[in-house]
Amino acid sequence: MDAFAAGSSIDLLQLTGLEDLKSLAIIGLSKNAGKTTCLNHIAAAWQESGQTRPLALTSIGRDGESEDVLSGYEKPRIYVPKGTLIASAEEALQNSDALLEILELSGIRTALGEVIVCRALSDGYVELAGPSVTDEISNVESLMRQHEPQCLFINDGALSRRSQAGSGMSEAAILCVSGETSTDPEILAEVTNFALNLLQTPTLPEATANILAQAINTHPKKRTIMLNGKLPNLSVSTLDTPLLVGYGKDIANALLPNTRFLYMRGAMTDQVLQELLSEANFANLTLVVEDGTRLFIEPGIVKKLRDRKVDLAVRNQLDVRLVCLNPTRADGQCLDAQPYLAEMQKKLQIPVVDLGPKNV
Amino acid sequence: MHTSVIISPELLDDLGLHKVLEACRCRSPQGNTLKNALQLFTNESREALREELGAIDRLLPLVRASDPEINEAQTYLSRLRELRGTLARLEKASLLNDTEFFELKSALSIFDRLGKMKNLLEAAGVDFEDTKPAAALLDPAGTGNPAFHIYSDYSAELSEIRAMKNELEREIRQATGPQRKTLLTQRALIISREDQEEERIRRQLGDKLAEWLPQLRSNVDTCALLDFRLAKAILAFKWNGCLPDLVMPQQPAILHNAIHPLIAEILDKQGLSFTPISIELQQGATVLSGANMGGKSVALKTVFLALLMTQLGYFPFCKSLQTPLFDFFAFESSREGDLHRGLSSFGLEAVQIRNHYRKSQTQRGLILMDEPCRGTNPSEARAIVQALCNTYGISDSTFLIATHYHVKPAPGIRFYQVRGINPDALSKLPEYLSSDSKTAGLEEGLADGLSKTSVNINHEDLARVKRIQKLMDYQLEEIDGVHQTPSGAIKIAELLGVDEALLREMRAARQEE
Repeated sequence: MDAFAAGSSIDLLQLTGLEDLKSLAIIGLSKNAGKTTCLNHIAAAWQESGQTRPLALTSIGRDGESEDVLSGYEKPRIYVPKGTLIASAEEALQNSDALLEILELSGIRTALGEVIVCRALSDGYVELAGPSVTDEISNVESLMRQHEPQCLFINDGALSRRSQAGSGMSEAAILCVSGETSTDPEILAEVTNFALNLLQTPTLPEATANILAQAINTHPKKRTIMLNGKLPNLSVSTLDTPLLVGYGKDIANALLPNTRFLYMRGAMTDQVLQELLSEANFANLTLVVEDGTRLFIEPGIVKKLRDRKVDLAVRNQLDVRLVCLNPTRADGQCLDAQPYLAEMQKKLQIPVVDLGPKNV
Repeated sequence: MHTSVIISPELLDDLGLHKVLEACRCRSPQGNTLKNALQLFTNESREALREELGAIDRLLPLVRASDPEINEAQTYLSRLRELRGTLARLEKASLLNDTEFFELKSALSIFDRLGKMKNLLEAAGVDFEDTKPAAALLDPAGTGNPAFHIYSDYSAELSEIRAMKNELEREIRQATGPQRKTLLTQRALIISREDQEEERIRRQLGDKLAEWLPQLRSNVDTCALLDFRLAKAILAFKWNGCLPDLVMPQQPAILHNAIHPLIAEILDKQGLSFTPISIELQQGATVLSGANMGGKSVALKTVFLALLMTQLGYFPFCKSLQTPLFDFFAFESSREGDLHRGLSSFGLEAVQIRNHYRKSQTQRGLILMDEPCRGTNPSEARAIVQALCNTYGISDSTFLIATHYHVKPAPGIRFYQVRGINPDALSKLPEYLSSDSKTAGLEEGLADGLSKTSVNINHEDLARVKRIQKLMDYQLEEIDGVHQTPSGAIKIAELLGVDEALLREMRAARQEE
């Protein structure tokens, strides 16, 4: 796939098909992956191209602050056009300088106060600090749609891709990567490709997906659901554990000899999978998670899963439209983008861009 | 819980008061605060209680008719936010932020909309103060838009600053590179002027709104009262509450067809129905006796709940109810739960008996005791129960005691009994199918081990208990008190399949006694 350096912002819209989307997630592979810069490019392109639908922005956790609260390095800020809707916590809004009209108090509390839905009556800087829980993101989206039903809802993940930006809520995603992950172009391309494959893990076949959806509806609180036997007669069994981590043995014990699909709600980490892999009967099945953002696993584990004939599947596939490369590291060091772009171009099946800094 | 209501936490839980109150759903935080305050109306607040109950009575027809104003009002009330913090800051002349102004603007709009529902307000016995001028302060252009920001209409200077800023932002959109940076710096300077002017306006706005504090507070209280009264009317409709008749202190409490809604719901799920309780409680003592499994405890809970809810300002769940107003309520039942707290059950009872007695020396109470002294030597227990009845019989308080001990008639003591099982119905009950259950148990036991055997027999026994319950007439009837009511315990043991040899021994021992 071709890679290109920063073209016009309008190219960005066409490349990602943003004009036809209802919702988009921006996912970062690491901290300082360039999510804010990417968002600024989208906002500018949106304004330049004279879109009539407004943008509606929120984040999981905090984003857009001028200084990285962890490292103290200066960070780009989010500059939004007039008319944009914003859902952000009260304290974060006080650090914003766009003229904001309060539309709604969401009742969702965060460490920085209640999440408030506003409309920017002028261009300006905003700081995003949305809900910290994924479920609340959909509440925020529906509040925003009450005011602007046609808006393009953008969920800007905060700390790395762990901020479950997908959850079946976003139609498409942009993955941001930076030299923070690796300064070796080959390794960066490799890691990005691996992450993309996980993020785009395929969905279950429709018939199985329907049975699983029904089982989840019937047992909304159960963390683990198993489908046993063969289609069309898959039977359902469940297990409830407070967490996934630390309960690998219990989950493995709950597996039946004919369990074909094992669905687990929550983050699928190496630790959870290590626990499961240490049980011999964890084999010959498909492991199902909500979406690709729930898979936080290393290549070594993926290989072990393959050896055990454990496939991965998701309920909601994430459509990653674009990879944005940020050649600037958090400490200000700027890498030469070209070798990275070239390497990624070889490896990845989707467009890769270096949007360049957005001068805001 | 109120100091005028003396009941252990376990018994309170068992009584189901909190669960019943949960079913009374207020929509606003203010309504919930009022509800959770559990204000007990007494003789001193008789008129206020009348007003409270009168409002529910007037609201009920609207609830019954599904008046659209009720739904609408509840929707507005659900949007009302807790305003205590904002109003306190307004009073202290603190600088409010835009979120607080937005909260006030929303509240003012709710007051305005609710204030127009004249029928509903009249029924609820509440009225709103006119706060339109305060609302106008937060909507200077009078657009009616519920959103809020510091409007340019507030000052010519702000309007001018924003026009300049707007122009700059237009230029920024076209600019790139160093020119853009310069423009952004200029914008930052304008923004600091804008911030200063906005702050001045916020302060001025706060001062003007502070003048409306009494009306704002009054309207918040009105919302709370409207919300609570509406919720109580809806609850009364749901569980057939009645308007109680409040009578003078010496007059009796008369409950006609009282039900306990939670127990009724459980029974309903089992395909059974709750037998409504009717009883007249004169000042003095009332002794309730009757068969085991006859529902004496349920009757006591139902009576206590109905009378307590009345004085908490709710409609009791009865066909009709009249009651004097008690100064305090006490309910005592020695239960296993007390043992878990490391207290001797009689020790705790004795403490409560002492406390209730002392309180009744100066106040008129409603005191209920469910089988006191059940763990004590029977002859002493009987003496204690008799003494309690004799003493309360000539007191100003109303004492209702459920007991198996025989109480001798004395001044001021009245007697009730649970009707119990009709002997004719009993004779029709088929014999206990002991052989069947044993066979079934054995088969299960052989196949699956001992645990299933016991489960099987338990099911059989439970079914049997249910059948006895069906035969039981739970109604209360007044009796002369001279004749002792048999508890029917041995008969029930027989019906539940206790072995004949053991039953023979029981009957013989009873004969001797």
